Amino acid sequence: MSLAAEAFVGQIAAAEPWPESATLYQPLNDEQILLSDNASSLAVQAYLKMCSLPVRVSCRVNAEFMSPSGKVPFIHVGNQVVSELGPIVQFTKAKGFSLSEGLDDVQRAEMKAYMELVNNMLLTAELYIQWCDDTTAAEISRPRYSSPYSWPLSHILAYQKQWEVRRKMSAIGWAGKSLEQVYEDVSQCCQALSQRLGTQLYFFNKQPTELDALVFGHIFTILTTRLTSDELAERVKVYSNLLSFCKRIEQTFFEESDQSSGSSRYSKGPTLT
Amino acid sequence: MATPMELRCWGGDWDLPSVHFESLIVLAYGKFAGAKISVKPIDWTWRTITATVPELHFDGCTVIEPTKILNFLRKQRLNADYELTAKQGADTMAYIALLEEKLRPALLHTFWVDAENYINLTRPWFASHSPFPLNFFVPGRQASLALSRIMLTKGESPYCTLTEVEGKIYSEAKECLNLLSHRLGTSQYFFGNTPTSLDAFVFGYIAPLHKAPLSSGQLQQHLKQLSNLCQFCNVVLRNFFTENPPEPPPAIQEPVDANLQKLTQLVNKESNLIEKMDDNLRSSPQHRPHRSDHRPAARSKNSTPA
Repeated sequence: MSLAAEAFVGQIAAAEPWPESATLYQPLNDEQILLSDNASSLAVQAYLKMCSLPVRVSCRVNAEFMSPSGKVPFIHVGNQVVSELGPIVQFTKAKGFSLSEGLDDVQRAEMKAYMELVNNMLLTAELYIQWCDDTTAAEISRPRYSSPYSWPLSHILAYQKQWEVRRKMSAIGWAGKSLEQVYEDVSQCCQALSQRLGTQLYFFNKQPTELDALVFGHIFTILTTRLTSDELAERVKVYSNLLSFCKRIEQTFFEESDQSSGSSRYSKGPTLT
Repeated sequence: MATPMELRCWGGDWDLPSVHFESLIVLAYGKFAGAKISVKPIDWTWRTITATVPELHFDGCTVIEPTKILNFLRKQRLNADYELTAKQGADTMAYIALLEEKLRPALLHTFWVDAENYINLTRPWFASHSPFPLNFFVPGRQASLALSRIMLTKGESPYCTLTEVEGKIYSEAKECLNLLSHRLGTSQYFFGNTPTSLDAFVFGYIAPLHKAPLSSGQLQQHLKQLSNLCQFCNVVLRNFFTENPPEPPPAIQEPVDANLQKLTQLVNKESNLIEKMDDNLRSSPQHRPHRSDHRPAARSKNSTPA
């Protein structure tokens, strides 16, 4: 959201407590959602769980179009609609729930830098693999993205999305990369994250922060999603401390709740057949 | 390294070895790593329109893009990051990603999209450094590339117009500069006493902003208040790019933190100011209709000094 809307939302948000009816919207879990959207959605769910804020997950076909910024997931809290992890973190901060208050300025700078690294490398790599790699796009992304719609709308929407993503990739210079180079970038990013995590419980020692939620969202989704080849998951599995980090967060924050909604999110991610 | 490596880049001005920030990154890293690089500016050649700058030539192979060139130099055992620990190496990657995402769009905007700067500074400079008839095409092409990059990466709805994107990218850039200043603190370089690739990247991004005579430069003014970053720029220029004897650095350790506090407040104040001016977003059809119940009340709330 823009600065104006953020400040606006912040002022309203501070006045009301977190309601029980807060809902998170994402595309359909089993048939429609793609790797990158699933990762973002899981990151937001993990963050809200870490703040102990209750939220219901609701799967809608047109979640992407309902969202104010065009990106999923978005949350509907009281009278506000906030999308994407960054604005949601600020929104919860306005309500008085923050995970990164105990960090000093240098640590906060590091946290923001690592979050940008994940967004820059992992998210962009996920988008590239989904939409710029022809096999994956034809076998998985386009059919899944357009599954709720009938022909010819499905055709049009899928190709439109692909065209948008490819345009963005060429603007940032990723269009010339080969799949192998993208896998290499993912490895390097995971190596950096693994080195930063080291043997600690969370990235900033004892307490989880939004960085932990974001990394969990992406790594867990990469590990549990089946694509045309397993190369991506294999590259990530090399880093055992990231694997145990994901398991730990899953056990601590996701297995204690027995809600029926979104039960597939912690058994496995979308399995693509 | 018997045959020197050749780097093709834009020429220098305003006390800098090159005005192009990517070329500056490579030049700075070359100096830090002690590489013998011969600089061949592409000014006044046809390469201004055909070449992707910066470009490194060595032994018949050509490498483009700063990250790839730095990797290539490291493989040639010219490694300025040799003494970094694994965690510092990871931090380097993270901070470079931060610079790319937050600072680069605002830099591109300041030099290529902002009308005053483009017409008074950037276009004349690049046009005067390109041969006829390319001087008519080169600046325009770079400007449209910059604009499309900004709009595609940052211009997703609801930021459909350039003015809304501007507000967002400048505030993110200022926050990024504040974060860098926090991270640098009072030390000379980002990791101790020797410069590394992160210092090269930060220098490359910040030096043109620091030194260029911009006519409308809110980002430049913000940078000038972060004295440790300006000091960092000057130190790198003095130690690696000039032949002048070094002057003693002025003692500015104390006001650094106070300035940072002031700047964080300034950024917040500025966002509030922008909020007052940004009526378009509140009346945008993107927002849900039931929010209109709160709008009149909110407007009166927002009119009080926030």
